Formats: sequence, C-alpha cells, structure tokens
Amino acid sequence: MVGGGGLDPDALGREALAYVDGLHNLARYLTGDPSDADDLVQETYARALRAAGQFTPGSNLKAWLFRILRNTFLSDLRRRRASPVLGGLDTVIPSAQDAGEVSWLRDDVELERLRRVVAAEIEAALLQLSEDARTVILLDLEGFTEVEVADVMGCAVGTVKSRLARARAALRVQLKDYAR
Amino acid sequence: MDCADARPHLVALSQGRVTGRLEADVRAHVAGCAECAGIAETEAALTAALERLPVHPAPLDLKRRLRASWPLTPPQSAWRRRLRVLVPAIAVAAAVLVVAPIAWDRFTVRPEREAAARLVAEAVNDHVRVLISQQPLEVKSSDSHQVRPWLTSRLDFAPAVAFGGDDEFPLQGGAVGYFLDRKAAVLVYGHRLHTISLLVFRADGLPWPRRELTHVGGVEAYADATRGFNVLVWRQGDLGYALVSDVDASALRTLATRLAPAS
Repeated sequence: MVGGGGLDPDALGREALAYVDGLHNLARYLTGDPSDADDLVQETYARALRAAGQFTPGSNLKAWLFRILRNTFLSDLRRRRASPVLGGLDTVIPSAQDAGEVSWLRDDVELERLRRVVAAEIEAALLQLSEDARTVILLDLEGFTEVEVADVMGCAVGTVKSRLARARAALRVQLKDYAR
Repeated sequence: MDCADARPHLVALSQGRVTGRLEADVRAHVAGCAECAGIAETEAALTAALERLPVHPAPLDLKRRLRASWPLTPPQSAWRRRLRVLVPAIAVAAAVLVVAPIAWDRFTVRPEREAAARLVAEAVNDHVRVLISQQPLEVKSSDSHQVRPWLTSRLDFAPAVAFGGDDEFPLQGGAVGYFLDRKAAVLVYGHRLHTISLLVFRADGLPWPRRELTHVGGVEAYADATRGFNVLVWRQGDLGYALVSDVDASALRTLATRLAPAS
C-alpha cells in the first residue's frame, strides 16, 4: 500500500502496476474475451492515471483500481446495451440464475460431482453467472476482505456475505450441469 | 455455538480464513452437527473447485504497454517552454542519433532481453517440474533450520535464504534441482492452495538483466510472466534467486520482499 506521507507518482505507478495480473483476471472473467480484457485493463489504468490526484495516499490502492475497473466495465456495458448495433458484453440475465434458496441447493448438489469438476468446467460455469455474482466470487478469490469487496462493489459490508453466499449457490447450480 | 452462529463462518472456514478461538468453536460445532458438517463439506468442495479456476494474468505486451504509458513523473510546463526553443537543435540531434538506438537495441538490449527470457523460461520449467513431480520435495519440513542444512550438504554452495516461512507463505520443504548448467536449491512455499518455488543458484557466469528492473525489498529484480506463471529473478552477492508461481504478481512481490528485505 502506498504510504500516507504525500503522493509519490513513482511509488503509485510501481504499486499500481503490481496489481495488473489480478485486474486482468477479473477483466477476463467480466468480458469473457482476451482482447476485451486487455482493453478494459488499459482503460482502467488510463482512468486511474487521470484520477491519480484524487487518490488518497495511505488508502487501499488495490481496491481503488478494482473499483475503477468494475465501474469502467459497467459503464461500457450500459453504453453497449443502449446501442443495439454494438450489442451487450454481458449476455447473462442477472437475476435468472442467482435466485434460489441456499439451503435447498446444498442438499441437491452431489458432493462427489463437485469434487470431480475440472478447471474448464468451473470456468464455463462461472461465466454463466451474472456480473454481480462473478465479481463477488472473484474478489473473494483475490483475497479481498468483506470491507474491501464492499468498497469495490459500492455496497454495504453486511450485504457482501449474503451476495457471496447467493453467488456460490448459483455456481453450484451451474456446476450440476457440468459435473456429470 | 449453535447452527445459526456457525453457518455464517462455514465458507470462510473452507478458505482457511477462520482462526483462533472462533475456528475452534466452529469446528467443535461442525463435529457434532451432521447438517452443518454436510454444508461445510460442500463449501470445502466448492472452494477446492474454485482454486482450480484458470487464472488469466496480464499478457507481457500489455504490461509493457502499461509500463510505457504510465508517466511516473508528470512533465513540467516549464520544460515544455524550453523544449519549444530547443526543437530545431533536437531535430538535428535526433537525425544524428537515429542510428544509435537501433545499434544499441541490436547489440545490447536485445541480447540482454533474450538472456533474461532464458532465465525466466528455465525458472518456469523448474517450477513445472516441482508441480508435476510425484515426489517434488526431498525434504519435507516447515523448519528452515532443517531444510537449509539438508540442502547445503548436497550443494557446492550454501543457499542463503532470509525467510523461513510464515502463516501467509508457509515453507513446505526443499529439494535439489538444476538451473541451466548448475545445481540449485529448490525451496517450496505455499500460499493458500498455490505452490511457489524459490530457486537459489550460483549466479557466476550467467548473463543477468540490467534493464527493466523493479525495486523489490532490498534488491532490484527482473519481473516477467510467461505461460501463466509470474516470475521474479534477482541477484544478491554471488547467488541468483528465481521465484515462480501462478499466484498474482503482487503476492509474489510480497514474498520476495520477505526473502530480500530492505536493510
């Protein structure tokens, strides 16, 4: 984390670039496309550079960058949806597969099937989830705390735990189709 | 602790994020409650499945583009004014110097970059060997005072390693391997469910990158990513170090900072 004693552009730049792999990973799962992910990461850094003066030294640079990336993706998504020619990046209807009763799902999924799921299957299942569900799962995997996830997603800290539980339940439902 | 108290912690428990007294309480409840045990088992299986999720680190050309586009020191307007006066002179100098960068790249930068790429590729190969080997560790111990003497007795140098592991990066053990033409100490650390290999080897006679270095802890390291793995290589005294893993670059830098702390 960048220290609290004034903004050093060199230190900010070095630390910002250290998070590029995590940012690219989230971008890849948000867009579902390698070149779109590259563009999204590049735009994220461009926006971060323009807004570097607004960054508070000592605050969480990693969460700040992830928030910029997600907001950039969402604004791009809204723009594309508004344009029928461009079409939408995120074609999954958000609420369709996220709804569900968590406890019921746990009973319904066969444990052994879940244990046999391979990397490509979990990737395909994750890509079927809504943007919201994908993001909370990936931020959790990235090692963010609930407070940081709330910061990135712009929601209350108390909401993060329930969102994560719903997202994991939705993922288990998706995995049922793969793990046979 | 009852079910209502335990269940909010079952996901975090499966990720190893519940510790201390709370972990003991949750585990005690799960041990005595079949329903919570079933949920905990399912969450653990899903967490394990998510750990198998492919990671997509940024491609190298994107990293280079970003490094070039992030102006670490913003240009000063006074300089712009001076440059306007100096433009004709700069144009002449640029014409004269146009050949120099090409020659510099051809005879200095490119060979160094190729040498660095060889170091990185070898480090990744060694790491992959650790991952696919049936018995990757010849000495299994989280105690660096056991691992290092074991390695020293099998090498022609003493692998100086300043960090013996902690909760975030536990030392798992070591083995003797080869790095290019020489023996190497291979120390394996864990990070969540990821494996991180540290290769320590004699650095004499190896071409070493001197450009595009980044400051990590107390050393200048060369950072790269290839085949989905992040790599940091650096030199300290007579020894070379290569750190390789599929963890993200920031986690690798954190471990490197512990291995080579700023004095």
